[in-house]
Amino acid sequence: MDLLEVKNLCKTYGSGEAAVHALKKVSFSVPRGEYVAIIGESGSGKSTLLNMIGALDTPASGKVVIGGTDIFAMNDRKLTIFRRRNIGFIFQAFNLVPELTVEQNIIFPVLLDYQKPDKKYLEELLTVLNLQERRNHLPSQLSGGQQQRVAIGRALITHPSLILADEPTGNLDTRNSSEVIALLKEASKKYEQTIIMITHSRSIAQTADRVLQVSDGVLTDLGRYRE
Amino acid sequence: MKSYLSLIPLSAKVRKRQNRMTLLCIIFAVFLVTSIFSMADIGVQIERTRLLEKHENLTYQDMLSSTMAQTLFLTAMVLFILVLIAGVLMISSTINTNVVQRTKFFGMMRCIGMSKEQIIRFVRLEALNWCKTAIPLGVILGIVFTWGLCAALRFLVGEEFSGIPLFGISIIGIISGVVVGITTVLLAASSPAKRAAKVSPVTAVTGNLENPQKPHHTINTHIFKIETALGIHHAISAKKNLMLMTGSFALSIILFLSFLVLIDFVNYLMPQSSSTADISISSSDNSNSIDNELLDTINSMPGIKRIFGRRSILDVPATMDKNKGTSCMIDMISYDEFELKCLSKDEILKKGSDISKVSGNSSYIIATWDKDSTLKIGDRIWIKNEELEIAGLLKYDPFSNDGLTNGKITLITSGETFIRLTGITDYSLLMAQTADDITDEEITAISSILDKNCIFQDKRDERTTGTYTAFVLCVYGFLAVVTLVAALNIINNISMSVYARIKQYGAMRAVGMDGHQITKMIVAEAFTYAATGCTVGCTIGLLISKWLYHILIASHFSYAVWNVPAVPLLGILLFVLATIIVAVYAPSKRMRSMEITEIINEL
Repeated sequence: MDLLEVKNLCKTYGSGEAAVHALKKVSFSVPRGEYVAIIGESGSGKSTLLNMIGALDTPASGKVVIGGTDIFAMNDRKLTIFRRRNIGFIFQAFNLVPELTVEQNIIFPVLLDYQKPDKKYLEELLTVLNLQERRNHLPSQLSGGQQQRVAIGRALITHPSLILADEPTGNLDTRNSSEVIALLKEASKKYEQTIIMITHSRSIAQTADRVLQVSDGVLTDLGRYRE
Repeated sequence: MKSYLSLIPLSAKVRKRQNRMTLLCIIFAVFLVTSIFSMADIGVQIERTRLLEKHENLTYQDMLSSTMAQTLFLTAMVLFILVLIAGVLMISSTINTNVVQRTKFFGMMRCIGMSKEQIIRFVRLEALNWCKTAIPLGVILGIVFTWGLCAALRFLVGEEFSGIPLFGISIIGIISGVVVGITTVLLAASSPAKRAAKVSPVTAVTGNLENPQKPHHTINTHIFKIETALGIHHAISAKKNLMLMTGSFALSIILFLSFLVLIDFVNYLMPQSSSTADISISSSDNSNSIDNELLDTINSMPGIKRIFGRRSILDVPATMDKNKGTSCMIDMISYDEFELKCLSKDEILKKGSDISKVSGNSSYIIATWDKDSTLKIGDRIWIKNEELEIAGLLKYDPFSNDGLTNGKITLITSGETFIRLTGITDYSLLMAQTADDITDEEITAISSILDKNCIFQDKRDERTTGTYTAFVLCVYGFLAVVTLVAALNIINNISMSVYARIKQYGAMRAVGMDGHQITKMIVAEAFTYAATGCTVGCTIGLLISKWLYHILIASHFSYAVWNVPAVPLLGILLFVLATIIVAVYAPSKRMRSMEITEIINEL
């Protein structure tokens, strides 16, 4: 069964003559555990698509179904809780909470759920992400690559079935980029998580199971990416 | 664009919403100073006219040296300094937040070649650009407010204010407003300007905008829930902001508590009693020689609103404690029903007093009191073998010059009780309140029916209601403005603080923080400011209140005792609570209603 189903998704910004159709009837599905890369020019609508899948933005029409749940049929509160528990986000700008330590940043979504973090899993994540030594550091005391690894940890802590990453390597150098991608792939395999990632890098797109291209709001399935 | 400074008006247009509160703060400071100085100036002009009428050859120099004028200017100066401090605190915190939330912008400016000096100039000129609209508006508001106040004094208070000009314009007031506006803004902008200049160009290109330069304390998530812990941390981590917020909260509370002492002071200076008499008729030998029928006769005369009398008997032997047989000499005075009711209405009875027991023919009495007195409510006194119980105590002794009992026991009884105990029915003193329109002829008619044993006094000119009302109006007016400034400041700062972290809040919402948690986080931040502000403000405020009470009141009125102003303190707490609710409502609603993507993408 597919984990994610996107059906006839449309999004329009502005109205009248100034209307911009960011997404035009986009439909696709992704099975559990698949690692998908989304590529496209700047302004093509890829971030809009990712934001819709993550319920950060609302579509003009269409449906997004995650694990059998129509996410836009929920009210805001339920949707927030659904997002907290089922979707992990990784941003280009990391967006860590500056006042929280590495460990606190990772367990942040669990704390928002008023739950106690699974200590064993946290240790496992810190080890996989190579952050044990830095667990009590603040984001300002970390390098860009380390900060992004914290963001990955935060996205993984709730065992989400879906991880959405918007250019997670955009602020990183080549070495750190490869590390982050390797970590994401490893997580996807180990925890059977579906990853949808926006990237500008062809080499990163090559590592994905499937590549989707967005151009002028229209989605094309490129299958496995080849030069 | 002629120069890089042309960016200022362009940026002001784009950031209209964010600048609105800063503008409001400047308008308020200018408005306050213009009105205070205009009123002081108009006050001096009235005083000058009054003195000129009295002494025709009075020079301006004489006028300035008059005590009244000096007091007015001194008061205006003190208020001016307080407003200046409040203004600097208020504007400084808004400009500070305004700069903090544009860290990336200043980083970018530094990136593309703006020098530190140019950044400082930019921030200062930006602040002065606000003055362009804020100062004229503040001055106009100040002038209109002064007109309103003059109209209120002229038509509502009247008396010595009946000659006050309605549409007077005070040049001193306007100049003070403008000077204070510019000075405050420049003073307030200097620190944020330096802060902006310190922004590293690298800030423009790094991801985490709010990255602290130095590592600070981490958050304890064990005591509070994560959103509460973050809210408290947001408040206490920015030391300077916390100090400014605490300072402005505290300053308002201190001003409030200090002004309350001024009202107390004027209450002692010009006690406003409901039973203040316009005319009094007393016995020339202080005996009860005024025929009691005279009361009814005068009561039926035109122009008399109300008449009441007192009987008195001095040095009556009494026994304080029957078992021990402690005897003493007491004074006894009778009050008519109206005057008894006024005792509780004027709040000069101590807590626990029950005036209703004293009324009519009873065995209850009221006693005078001071802090050295040993009398208590419930104590019993025997006069001519009749047992009387103290049903109430006065806060002081109104029959002595200094308000102290000096060890003397004076009892107040009802007329009926007094007659039963002493058999005396005639009065020693009659007092009447007259109608507002009573004529001099009607007064003469009353005095003409009195025999030579009576001393007649016309006290209508001694009424201080007008001056008292004007003073209390001004003090409460100023208190209202101080309160409003504090409220605005709190609302502004919380809104700015939320706006400064908007991107962070957006990211938190993206990873699962719900609207309710966002609100709780903002409430926790606001509550922390309020708690520190209230603690500092109430502590210093109470100390100043006690000190002011001592030098203004207790040193002149020895019976006056300073008490913790519990009701005003409760009022302050409620006001702060209400302000927090208002302050949190708008930003949290905005944060909840904004699309997450809109927040994250906002620069």
